[in-house]
Amino acid sequence: MIKLKMFDESRISKSMLSLTGILFALYIITGLLDSYNFSIPAIGNIFYLGAALGLLAAGQTICMLTGGIDLSLAMIATGAAFIVSVKSSSGLLVALSLALLYCIVIGAINGLAVGLLGMNPLIMTLGMNAVLIGVFTVGVTTFLQGSSTVPEVLVTLSTASIIDTSGWVFESATADPRSWPFVASIVDTLSWPFFIWLLVSLIVLFILARTGLGRLIYAIGDNAQSARLAGVKVWKVQVTTYVMCAILGGIGGIILGGQSGAVALSLANSFLLPSVAAVVIGGTSIMGGIGGYKGTMMGTLILTLLSSLLTTINSSEAVKQMIYGAIVLALAWTYAKISENS
Amino acid sequence: MASNNSLLSIKGLEKSYGSVVALKNANFEVSPGEIHALLGANGAGKSTLVKILTGVITSNNGTISLNGKQLTFSSPDDARKNGVAPVFQDPALIPDISIQRNLTLTSTNEARFVSELALMGLKVNLNEIAANIELPLLRMIDLARALSHDPELLILDEITAALPIDLAEKVITVMNNQKAKGKSVIFISHRLAEIEEICDRATVLRDGINVDTFEASQGSEERIVQAMLGEKNKRNSNEARTSRSSLSSQTLLEIKSISGGKHLKDLSFTIKKGEVLGVAALEGQGQDLLFEILAGESNPESGEILVNGKIVTFSHPSDAINLGISYVPGDRKSALMPQRSIRENLALTRFRGISKWGVINSKDEEVRVDDAVSSLQIDTRAKSQVKRLSGGNQQKVTIGRWVTTGFDLLLCFDPTRGIDVGTKQQIYELVREFADQGKSVLLFTSELREIQLACDRAIVIYEGRVQADLPIEKCDEENLLNAAHGIAVAK
Amino acid sequence: MNLIQLKRQSWNLAIIVLALVLGAWRISQLPQFGAYEARTFVLGILPIALLSMGQALIIIGGGINLAIGAEAVLINCLSAKYMLDTSFSKSLMLAVVFIIVGVLIGALTGWIISVSGIADIVVTLATSFLLVGVAMYVMPQPGGGINQTLADLISGKVPNFIPPLICLILPILLIWIPLYRSKLGISMYAIGSNKDAAFLSGVNVNLTRIKLYAFGGLFAALSGLALTGITLSSSPFANISNTATLNSVAGAVLGGVALSGGVGGLIGPALAALILYFIPTILLAYGIDPAYSQIITGALTIVVVLLGGLLRKRTAGKK
Repeated sequence: MIKLKMFDESRISKSMLSLTGILFALYIITGLLDSYNFSIPAIGNIFYLGAALGLLAAGQTICMLTGGIDLSLAMIATGAAFIVSVKSSSGLLVALSLALLYCIVIGAINGLAVGLLGMNPLIMTLGMNAVLIGVFTVGVTTFLQGSSTVPEVLVTLSTASIIDTSGWVFESATADPRSWPFVASIVDTLSWPFFIWLLVSLIVLFILARTGLGRLIYAIGDNAQSARLAGVKVWKVQVTTYVMCAILGGIGGIILGGQSGAVALSLANSFLLPSVAAVVIGGTSIMGGIGGYKGTMMGTLILTLLSSLLTTINSSEAVKQMIYGAIVLALAWTYAKISENS
Repeated sequence: MASNNSLLSIKGLEKSYGSVVALKNANFEVSPGEIHALLGANGAGKSTLVKILTGVITSNNGTISLNGKQLTFSSPDDARKNGVAPVFQDPALIPDISIQRNLTLTSTNEARFVSELALMGLKVNLNEIAANIELPLLRMIDLARALSHDPELLILDEITAALPIDLAEKVITVMNNQKAKGKSVIFISHRLAEIEEICDRATVLRDGINVDTFEASQGSEERIVQAMLGEKNKRNSNEARTSRSSLSSQTLLEIKSISGGKHLKDLSFTIKKGEVLGVAALEGQGQDLLFEILAGESNPESGEILVNGKIVTFSHPSDAINLGISYVPGDRKSALMPQRSIRENLALTRFRGISKWGVINSKDEEVRVDDAVSSLQIDTRAKSQVKRLSGGNQQKVTIGRWVTTGFDLLLCFDPTRGIDVGTKQQIYELVREFADQGKSVLLFTSELREIQLACDRAIVIYEGRVQADLPIEKCDEENLLNAAHGIAVAK
Repeated sequence: MNLIQLKRQSWNLAIIVLALVLGAWRISQLPQFGAYEARTFVLGILPIALLSMGQALIIIGGGINLAIGAEAVLINCLSAKYMLDTSFSKSLMLAVVFIIVGVLIGALTGWIISVSGIADIVVTLATSFLLVGVAMYVMPQPGGGINQTLADLISGKVPNFIPPLICLILPILLIWIPLYRSKLGISMYAIGSNKDAAFLSGVNVNLTRIKLYAFGGLFAALSGLALTGITLSSSPFANISNTATLNSVAGAVLGGVALSGGVGGLIGPALAALILYFIPTILLAYGIDPAYSQIITGALTIVVVLLGGLLRKRTAGKK
C-alpha cells in the first residue's frame, strides 16, 4: 500500500520551524529582560493571556481557510459575554445557552449571506458589525438590561487553575505535592482559559484534519468550483464555517469577560485585527485553501508574547502597533515569496 | 521564399511552457499586400505564435523581422505601435466602460474609428458600455479600432467564427481592402471555404512546426487537411479498433433536441451502457456547454435529457452525480484543488453529502485512494501539492476522484490535452477498462486520431447539430475533420 | 445627456433624491435653517466625504485600502503637531508637504502590493497598524493646533459655509474630473474591470496600480487636513482610524461603487456621505439612541451591496 502524505508536510514543518524560532527568540528576550519570565508561572500567564485571542483567531482561521473573513467577530465575542452577564440571573446554564444561540444565529446570517446570496464576506461582516454595535448599544438600556458584571462563576473560572488545590489536605508537608519542585507552578499554569483553549484547539485541529467537514473547508477555499463539480453544496459548508467561527468567538468573548470581570461594548474590539494578524502570521493564506490552525496558535503566542514584551519595556502603544504591522507584512511577504517559488 | 520583400519574417520560433513544447521551430513569412491563412489543429501552436507576434508573451528562441528590421515586442501596445494589430476572438475591450473611453485608452482617433465602422456599414453609440453590446458587434468594433491605427499587418484570430453571415462578409471586404492598399492580413480560421476564397497563401502548423505553405485555391481543402494530419494518418488504420459485438443494447443516456448558449441549436444523440462515445468538433462549437449541461452545471434552453429512460433535470452537479454522471473538466484548473494533496483531491467526491462530514474512516479512505492510484498509475513520487504534478498526472487525479466514488457515465472533456504521449496511452487504456466494466464514457477530444484509439462510436458536432454519427471503422481523421468542417462524409 | 448616460447616472440621482429627502427632514427638525446650520452640515461630511472618495477610487481600480483611515489620521496628527503656533504661510507650506507625504505613502502601498504579490487586504491591514503606530508616535496625546487663518480657510469662520463647501467641491473639480477624463483614469477603471483586457489594451497594470493608491493617499491626506482644520486638534486613536476606514467603505459602496471594480465614480460617495451624516443626526433629534443609526447604516450597506450586485447582473446580461 502506498502511503500518501496528507499535505505537503515539509512546507508546513518549514514554516512551523521558523515560527517556533521566532517564538523562542522572543521568549529568550523577555527572559533576559526579566528573569521571572523564565519561570513556569510566567509561561502560564502567557497562555492565560493568549487564550481569548487564540479562540478568536481559531474562528478567523476557519473563515480565512474558505477564503472569507469575519470582521464582526469582535462584536460576536463581546455580545456573547454580554448575554452571559446580563442573563446570569436566570441561571448560568440558561445564560450560556442563550449566548450560544446568539452565536449560532449571527454566524448563520453571515454564512447564508455569503453562501447563498453571494455577498462579499468583507462587506457582509462589516455591515453585521455595525448592526451588532447598534443593537447592543440600544440593548444595554432596554431588553438587555441587567448586570454587566460577569457572574462569579465565570470570573473564578477565568482566573483560577483548573485544579482546585484549596481543599487538599495531606499528612505531612513532604507528602503534599504542592511542595515538590515545579508542581505548584505547573498547577497554577493550568488556568481555565488555557485549559479551555487547549481543549477547543484539539477539537478544531481534529475537525480540520480528520473530518469530511474539514476537508471541505480547505476544498472550497482552494477551489470552490472544483468542489461544486464534485457535488459539494458549497453554501452549506460556508454556513457551517461562519457558525463555527461565531461559536469560537463567543467562547473567546466569555473568557475575556471573565478575565476582565465586567463587560463593556469595547471588550473585544482590540482583538479583531490581531485575530486576523495571528492567522496571517501563522501562514494561512487570506485567499484560502492553505494553512491551518497550528500556525495560528503559534501566531497567537507570538503576538501575546510580543505584547507582553512591549509592556515590560514600557514601550508605547505606538511602537506596539508599528511592530505588529511590520511583522504581519514581513511574514506575509515571506509566505508569498515561498509559494511563488514553489 | 523571397525574404528581402517580406513584410513579416519569422524564423526558428520556439516556445515551451515547462515541459510542454508549444512551438518547436516555426518559420512563417508574409509578403506585403497578401492575405495569408494560418492553419493548424488545436494545440498545433497557432495561438502561441500569434501571442508572441502581438507581444502578449515572449519566445524562448527565434527571430521576428518586420520590413527587414528585427524586433521583439514587449507588450501588445508595443506591437501595435510597430504596425501589428491583432483582433482576437475575445474582444480586448474593457467591459465596464464605454466604447468612447475604450478608444481613448488605446489612443484611437474617434473620428477615424467612426468612419472605419461606417465603411463596414455599421454604427454604434459611443457612450454604450462595452459589456452591453452583443459579441458579434463588439468584434467588429475591435476590428474597426485596429483598422484606425493603419496597421501594416492585421491579424484576425478566428473572428469569423460565430459571426452572422453579413458581418463575416464585411470582414472579408475589409481584408480585401487592406490588400488593395498594399497591407497584409494573417487570417486564422477553421472555415476552409473562406480560406480558399480569399487567401493568397496558407501555412499549416502541426506540432509546433510549419509543415506546409502553399497557394490557397479551389480544392486546397484536401491539401490542408492532409497537412494538418500528417503521415500518422496512414499508420492509424493499423491501430484502429473495430466495433465490439459484445456491446449491450441498453441505452443509458438520451439527449433530445438540446439547445443553449450561442452555439447549440438542436443536438440529439444516445449513449449505450458500456459504450465509449467520442465527440469531435472544431473549437467553439458549443461542446463545452454540452458537457456542462450533462454535468448539471448549466441548464439547456430547451430539449430533454433522459437517463435510463426517465426525463431528468439538474439544478446542481450533485444531481447529476447522484444519477451516476460524473464530470472530468477539460480545464484541469477547475477540476483540481491546486494547493491540496493528491489524497485530498482523490477523496473529495466522497464528502459531498452532509452525512459524510463526520470523522473520516482513514483505513477505508486509504484503501480507496490507493486503489485509484494504482489503477491509474498515478506517480506519487512528486511532492504532495497537486499543482506541482505534471499535466498527465494531474489529469489522472481528476479522473481518479471518480474512481474512488463510482459512476455510470464519465464525461471526459479533452482529457489528453497538453499531456505526454505515455500518459495519453494510459488514459486510452483506462477508458477502455471502464467500458469493459460496463460503464459508459462520453469523450470529447481535440485530437481526432484518439477517437479511433479509444471509442466505439463517434458523433461530430457542427453548427449546433450532430453532423455525423459514425461507427468506429469510419472514424479516421479525414472523415472526422471533414465532418467537423461541415463537409459531408462518405457513408 | 442622452439616455445611456442618464442610466449610468441613475444611482447618483437616487442618492441625490435620498439626500434631499433626508436633508429636508433634518431641516424640518431645526428651529431655523441658515448659513450656520448649512455650515454644520458641510463640516459634518467633509472629512468622511473626502475619505470615501479616496476609497471609492481604489475600489474602482480593483483594490481596497484598509489603512485609508490610518493614513488620514496620520496626516491629521502630523499637521496638528507641526502647524501649532505657526504663521499662515508656514502652515500652508506644511499642508502641501503633508499632502505629498500622503501621496507617497499611498504610492508605497501600491508598490508593495504590486511587487510582493500579497493580497491588498493583508498589505493594507499591516500598513494600518504601521501608520496608526506612527501617528501615535508623532502625537502620543490628542493635541496640537493649526494656524487659525488656515483653519478658517478650511472650515470657514462661523457662519460662513462657503469655504468648507469649496474644500469639498474643489477636489472633485480639480482632481477627480480631470483624472476621470484622462487616459490614466481610464486605465484605473480598466485594471479594476478586467486586468487581461487592460493589458491587451496597452495598460501597464503595476504602474497604474501604484498611481491608483497614490491618488487614494492624496484624498486621505486631504481628509486628514480637513480634520485638523475642523477640530483644530489631532485624534491619534486606532479605533477612530478603523471606524473611519469602515465608513469610507460604506460611503463608497452606498455611492454606487461596485466591489468587483471598474464601476462607479467619486461623486456618488461624496453624496452618500450626506446620507451617512443625516441618518444619525435625524434620529438623535428625535431622542432616538444614535446606536439605531449604526444599525441602519450597517443594514443599509448590506442591502445596497446586495441590490447593486443583483442589478448589475441583470443589466449586464452575462454571468
